[in-house]
Amino acid sequence: MSRFTLFIFALVLSLPSVAEVDVEALIISSEKVAYYSGQDGRSDARMMIVDAQGRKQMRQFTILRRDIKDNGDQQMMVFFSRPTDVKDTVFRVEKHADITVDDDRWLYLPALDLVKRISAGDKRTSFVGSHFFYEDVSGRAISEDDFELVDETSENYILKATPKSADSVEFSYYHVSISKQSKLPVKIDFFNQEGVNYRRVEAVKIDNIQGFPTVLRSKVSDLVNGGYTLMEFRNISYDLGLPDDVFSERSLRTPPRQWLN
Amino acid sequence: MKKSLSPISVLAMILLLVSLNTRAQTTEDEWDMGDWSEEEEASPLFAGFVDISVGNRFTSDPAIDGAKTLRDIRLQVQWEKLLSESSLTVTSDLYYDGVLDQVKLNVREFAWQGRLDSIAQWGKNFDLKLGQQVLTWGTGDYLFLNDLFPKDYQSFFAGRNDDYLKAPSLSAKLSGFFDWGNMDFVITPEFAADNYINGDYFSFFSASFGTNIAPGFDVKSPYLPESPEYALRYYKSIGSSEIAIYGYDGFHKSPSSLTSEGQAYFSKLNVYGASVVSPAFAGLIKAEFAYYASKDDSQGSEPLIPNDQSRYLVGYEQEVIKDLTASIQWYLEHTHDYSELKLNSLTPEYDPNRSRIVVTQQFIYRLMQQTLTINAFNFYSTSDHDGFLKLRADYSPVDQWQVAAGINLFYGDDNHTFYNQFEDASNLYASFKYFY
Repeated sequence: MSRFTLFIFALVLSLPSVAEVDVEALIISSEKVAYYSGQDGRSDARMMIVDAQGRKQMRQFTILRRDIKDNGDQQMMVFFSRPTDVKDTVFRVEKHADITVDDDRWLYLPALDLVKRISAGDKRTSFVGSHFFYEDVSGRAISEDDFELVDETSENYILKATPKSADSVEFSYYHVSISKQSKLPVKIDFFNQEGVNYRRVEAVKIDNIQGFPTVLRSKVSDLVNGGYTLMEFRNISYDLGLPDDVFSERSLRTPPRQWLN
Repeated sequence: MKKSLSPISVLAMILLLVSLNTRAQTTEDEWDMGDWSEEEEASPLFAGFVDISVGNRFTSDPAIDGAKTLRDIRLQVQWEKLLSESSLTVTSDLYYDGVLDQVKLNVREFAWQGRLDSIAQWGKNFDLKLGQQVLTWGTGDYLFLNDLFPKDYQSFFAGRNDDYLKAPSLSAKLSGFFDWGNMDFVITPEFAADNYINGDYFSFFSASFGTNIAPGFDVKSPYLPESPEYALRYYKSIGSSEIAIYGYDGFHKSPSSLTSEGQAYFSKLNVYGASVVSPAFAGLIKAEFAYYASKDDSQGSEPLIPNDQSRYLVGYEQEVIKDLTASIQWYLEHTHDYSELKLNSLTPEYDPNRSRIVVTQQFIYRLMQQTLTINAFNFYSTSDHDGFLKLRADYSPVDQWQVAAGINLFYGDDNHTFYNQFEDASNLYASFKYFY
């Protein structure tokens, strides 16, 4: 009996340190660091979309974000400035953390002065023609997946995420590397049913802004056909005190210039 | 507005402007995406595009010579000046219309827009937009109930980009934003008619002649309305739903009334309505109602003036599979005092039904990383047994250019019904657009 107890004791001691990681707490803090820095934030962003033939497209926009609650509901406005045919187009999202409630989305088309309510739709479709999905930009709710720790390096934890609802997504599972130091997800590899890694999202450049670890450059790659999109952020600031009324239909037609420049 | 410039000089101007505005582009490494536009604002340049569009009708139209339905060489110039609390925007099209062999200037926007904070404390809740502008509200797709702002049906039928479905007006729009809801109040001092089908490009059915005619007419003073148009909207979000109430005081937007001498004119019209949009099931549901009070014929007994109508719309939209959005709309136009209309009608065989019902179906499919968009929109009237099918493909694999092609097909049984009167307007078109 005592030998058996000792054996269990030894087994516990010899387990790799991964078992000590509280995965639940890790993904919650990772989600907060990745999508909820400060109470609000603004950033200029631009994307270069490169297709498999090497043809390039550019998108430039400014994002304003306001959290209703950390790891909870968020408000977002995206003001496009380039290219010419999307200039002054504005995208508005009321994100609901409850995955049973669809996000509310609107698009303002300046040439028609039209505010178009957009039906919820698949969040894993291209964000304005890029290789990023809407969900990459607004954040995939961590409650959508089951996480388990599969590996660990000196810098990162590597988690395997399996969707709770496999029918709703194109991937079978993904591996996410979370920086031990910053808790930012730095690389996500998506695998299909055949176990092929067909898509990668990675943080290429990270810096500390107002004390918040912040991704300045990220890249998403289509590993099958070779297309990719680069996204770069500039003029980032947090805790601006963005008022609630910035995130409204008013701002679609009359952009709140005070917060955009 | 018509100017006497030759098409050659327009083309030369376009090429000159484009070459002036072209910037050299170099790429060193993959993260070098060129200048951020904020850095370019020091030297404000204009932006815009050149567009060449060609369209022909499928069959000849006995009422109109020639097969051409669309021949545009177009330069759009956009210019914006940001002031401290406001902005000045100009969007103007100069184009050669090869169907009419005319050079035209279409100022789509020339407006000052700003918040009124700077004027007074009460101003913080108000925005004002003054000048030539495009205005839109309401919930329908291609069906307008409470939106009485001018439309350009000639462009819609010819296959110009959807941006041209709305025509600009010289208006003042005051918007107020409050806890109890938001208000828009629009005054258009000089009546802005639709760009209605007048025979310039497409013929239309005339009940008096019993056949299609193409007079190419414009209504001129003294038959133009002399009072301003007023439009009002109240709207509010309640949870994820949006409700709105509308009012309009003005005139029928096309000259659908005739004086006793047979002169077409725009008779008085008031419109009252409401709408709601809400998420439902996996998509969006919408409903809209409008009451059209035809003030010059409130009893319905004037045969040359439209009767009062109630208009209803119910619609549903959903993404059915990834990148494919489908929508359906059911629309009813109910003519009031129908027995009076029948009693007084001069051309009873061509009278519309008491209830005109239109069902629309739309599919929008985005393919190839959203560089290709296929849009199919069908209007079908179950009461008139006629319809209008719009099919369009847009392809733009780079930022610099877009190509588009499509058909507009009118079909039906009778030659006088709403859509089928345009059967000979059915056309095929293509366009190329280059952004400079």
